[in-house]
Amino acid sequence: MAEIRPEQIDAFRYRIPRDRSLGMRTDVVVYASAALMEQIQKDQSLTQAVNVATLPGIVGPSLAMPDIHQGYGFPIGGVAATDLDYGVVSPGGVGFDINCGVRLVRSTLPETEVRPRLKDLINQTFRDVPCGTGTEGRVGVKASQIDDVLRQGARWMVENGFGDERDAEFAEAGGALESALPNKVSARAKERGTPQLGTLGSGNHFLEVQYVEQVHDVPGAAAMQIEEGQVVILIHSGSRGLGHQVCTDYVALMNQVMPKYNITLPDRQLACAPVRSDEGRSYLGAMAAAANFAWANRQAIMHFLRGAFRRIFGESARLELIYDVCHNIAKRETYDVDGRTREVLVHRKGATRAFPPGDPEIPASYRSIGQPVFIPGSMGTASWVLAGQARAKQETFGSVCHGAGRLLSRTAVRKGKNAREEQRKLEENGILVRSESKDGILEELPEAYKNVDEVIEVVHNAGLAKKVARLRPMGVIKG
Amino acid sequence: MKFELLEHPADIGFRARGRSLEGLFANCAYALVSIILDPCAIQVAAEIAVEATGSDYESLLVNFLNEVLYYVDGKGIALGRFDVGRLDPAHVRCIAGGEPRNPEMHPPRVVVKAVTYHQLKVARDETGWVAEVYVDV
Repeated sequence: MAEIRPEQIDAFRYRIPRDRSLGMRTDVVVYASAALMEQIQKDQSLTQAVNVATLPGIVGPSLAMPDIHQGYGFPIGGVAATDLDYGVVSPGGVGFDINCGVRLVRSTLPETEVRPRLKDLINQTFRDVPCGTGTEGRVGVKASQIDDVLRQGARWMVENGFGDERDAEFAEAGGALESALPNKVSARAKERGTPQLGTLGSGNHFLEVQYVEQVHDVPGAAAMQIEEGQVVILIHSGSRGLGHQVCTDYVALMNQVMPKYNITLPDRQLACAPVRSDEGRSYLGAMAAAANFAWANRQAIMHFLRGAFRRIFGESARLELIYDVCHNIAKRETYDVDGRTREVLVHRKGATRAFPPGDPEIPASYRSIGQPVFIPGSMGTASWVLAGQARAKQETFGSVCHGAGRLLSRTAVRKGKNAREEQRKLEENGILVRSESKDGILEELPEAYKNVDEVIEVVHNAGLAKKVARLRPMGVIKG
Repeated sequence: MKFELLEHPADIGFRARGRSLEGLFANCAYALVSIILDPCAIQVAAEIAVEATGSDYESLLVNFLNEVLYYVDGKGIALGRFDVGRLDPAHVRCIAGGEPRNPEMHPPRVVVKAVTYHQLKVARDETGWVAEVYVDV
């Protein structure tokens, strides 16, 4: 394959021009600083962004966020919009963990009050929110109820005693996509996922107790009701085995049917079908159902977390949902493209929706500041609260990054390291970590990730989202 | 050693070998289980038939391993022995032996979400067959 040479557009943008010899139908645009671009070029993520540019019916450029790293088929940190009439939908463009996402919860407690009892809180939460690696969740949904969960998402949890009335309102899409088709989710996907409802998962999933270290935008922080020193909790999880199986099922199906639609692609993991085809519509219905399962899952986790807080700090300790965003999804959205208004299918693979102030999709209390966006860094550094800005809607199909982006492989980061020793070092920095396995700690050490502050500088300065607050971790639960 | 781990920026891969394709598929299945949990203490208390179809050896291997993953992650069975019957590019059938997962006996390592086509390789080498497979974790 020809060497890929990104051309710098400005301090935060690069372009890989369309190369027909590679089958590209459009350009690739990468959001990165010079330093991040150097790191990005060390793996195959740009080749994958070029492969995405070959998808039939792609609209606008294939986009790469500053946290981009090598994934499967699509790069992680990739965004691609496709035409609804002659474009395709690719399950790989959403990923195996459908609606993997984060929700940020604010407490009524300051850091000074939580830190003396942090160990008790982490231990209690570790008991109440299982990671699910070999254990079942505590929701206890029956097989006969699972289709209702898949239709109603977070709302099902609230109506069945796992949450407060206002919770569902403060999630992207209200915590449920109406387009869900539970009958397009296989029996084995339901069987695999049902016992895992209310569990975190492993890998990069976590529950983190944090405090607001610094407010960067006062009106934004005021709208989200957070202030410096306040304890917040970030929950990162997805659709567990149900979503994984939905993606597996449909990648297999689409690999079978691509010849029927005369689609050939440089990577089988990009397997796709026309949006309008039976297979495309079935996948989108199943994907929406899996997305709803993920919202229900994060809602259940927050409910159990509330119980843990009450147990440690008493009945007056309240937790309120700030917002919940997904970062693995495909959604129908409307944009101005080349001077005309078009409805497209936006694939976000490791990218977060970031709608600007005034957008009707945003809850009324945030409409003046832009959609809340949460960017986890690593368990030893920081996470960020951002608010979506106008340029995201104009340039990136309303999207920004989703994390710091992985730098080192799992095997590379753990070389020569001892889990207990690393745990002790984190503790010296005021960060208490509990994990179901020592691999969970070693493979997610801070040095495995890019500098989250550098990633945030790019999206802030490019005008995609603005900084609202920086969060520091205190206690971490890993799978 | 039945397999070796391969690096991936975000996830995990493995390279496995076999004198025959059947042996290769069995070793790949064992490698997959070893990423999910510690397989040292798995007892064969029950046997199940694991079947998959494909259009070539690559898709057959991905579909077969995703089937194994379904039993381990979805059915909660720790599989430790794989007897793969004669296979062709369209079909594989394997009798897999194991027991219900128990975190005490089979300490969990990481949740594998799926087996992927990313940089997938199934090829002949000087000793028989080799495969490289990457999984999403």
